[in-house]
Amino acid sequence: MAAEAHAAPVHHATSTGTDNRKLLMWLFLASECLFFGSLIASFLVFKARMVLPPFPHAREIDSSLLAGLPEVIQEQCAHVVSDTLVECHGILDIPVTSASTFVLLGSSLAMVLAVYGAQHSRPGMMKAWLLITALLGLTFLGFQVYEFRTFGSEGLNLSTNQFGASFFVLTGFHGTHVGVGVVYLLSLLAASFRRNGLGPEAGFHVETAGLYWHFVDIVWIVIFTVLYLIPS
Amino acid sequence: MTTTEHHESAAHEGLGPRQYVTIFAILTVVTVIELWLSYSDIGGLLIPLLILLSAFKFVVVVAYFMHLRFEPRILNRLFAGGFVLATLVLFALISLFWNDITHPLG
Repeated sequence: MAAEAHAAPVHHATSTGTDNRKLLMWLFLASECLFFGSLIASFLVFKARMVLPPFPHAREIDSSLLAGLPEVIQEQCAHVVSDTLVECHGILDIPVTSASTFVLLGSSLAMVLAVYGAQHSRPGMMKAWLLITALLGLTFLGFQVYEFRTFGSEGLNLSTNQFGASFFVLTGFHGTHVGVGVVYLLSLLAASFRRNGLGPEAGFHVETAGLYWHFVDIVWIVIFTVLYLIPS
Repeated sequence: MTTTEHHESAAHEGLGPRQYVTIFAILTVVTVIELWLSYSDIGGLLIPLLILLSAFKFVVVVAYFMHLRFEPRILNRLFAGGFVLATLVLFALISLFWNDITHPLG
């Protein structure tokens, strides 16, 4: 009980009834909803207007559209359906992305356990789960680098077509958020090794970092469904 | 609830590691169902089901992992406001461009 009391943060009375710093974090996350909402909307708009491969999912197109495209892209449309139609295979690798999705989901569990440890004066638990969360975040980024490199080798980049532009912008910004989150968590972890640790507000600091991290996770929940699972 | 004593959400109303693992297990099962659906041939039901399951996961993470369920109403309204605005932006952009296929892009 005494330990828990020690972990309780020092709060100042506010007119809103909640800590202003937490209010600020939620306000920031609300604005991030708009940011990612716009990017997802752009992706959906472009997805409906895509004409040239590479495509996210398998699609039949007129073979005349392949003229002038790089060989590496034409090879993706080698399956002849009829005299005028060819089928292009989808470039998205759902199994690999599913693995990275589970990694990010697991990182959310690790994060919430780190918050629990911080709020219950269990610094060892907090540090261990903070480290695991950061490592899972790095693993997710590793998957993303692998995916980007694979797409690059298949001829898809930012300027290839509208799919490439919207895909790399959307997932790139999300990956950047994950990267910022990893730095945030590692900074907290490093600070927790100081003599007085994260201080009396350890629970608050880790919880605020957790809000950011979980937000990155929920954005991916939407991206995974909209971009990867819903067919063209 | 005049001050921030509410703020800590009382260590989130009894949620502990066991509950968090259970929530994670539910999220994992839902994700597996989503994957299974995406490979199955269920026609027009696919997209609504995927959106429904995704929304469920979204709400569970926000409510229990982010503890919004236990937070003061102002935080709930703040985040809901941002989310609703984002949804409106999404529908506005889609309705603006969805039928404009006269100038297909590359």
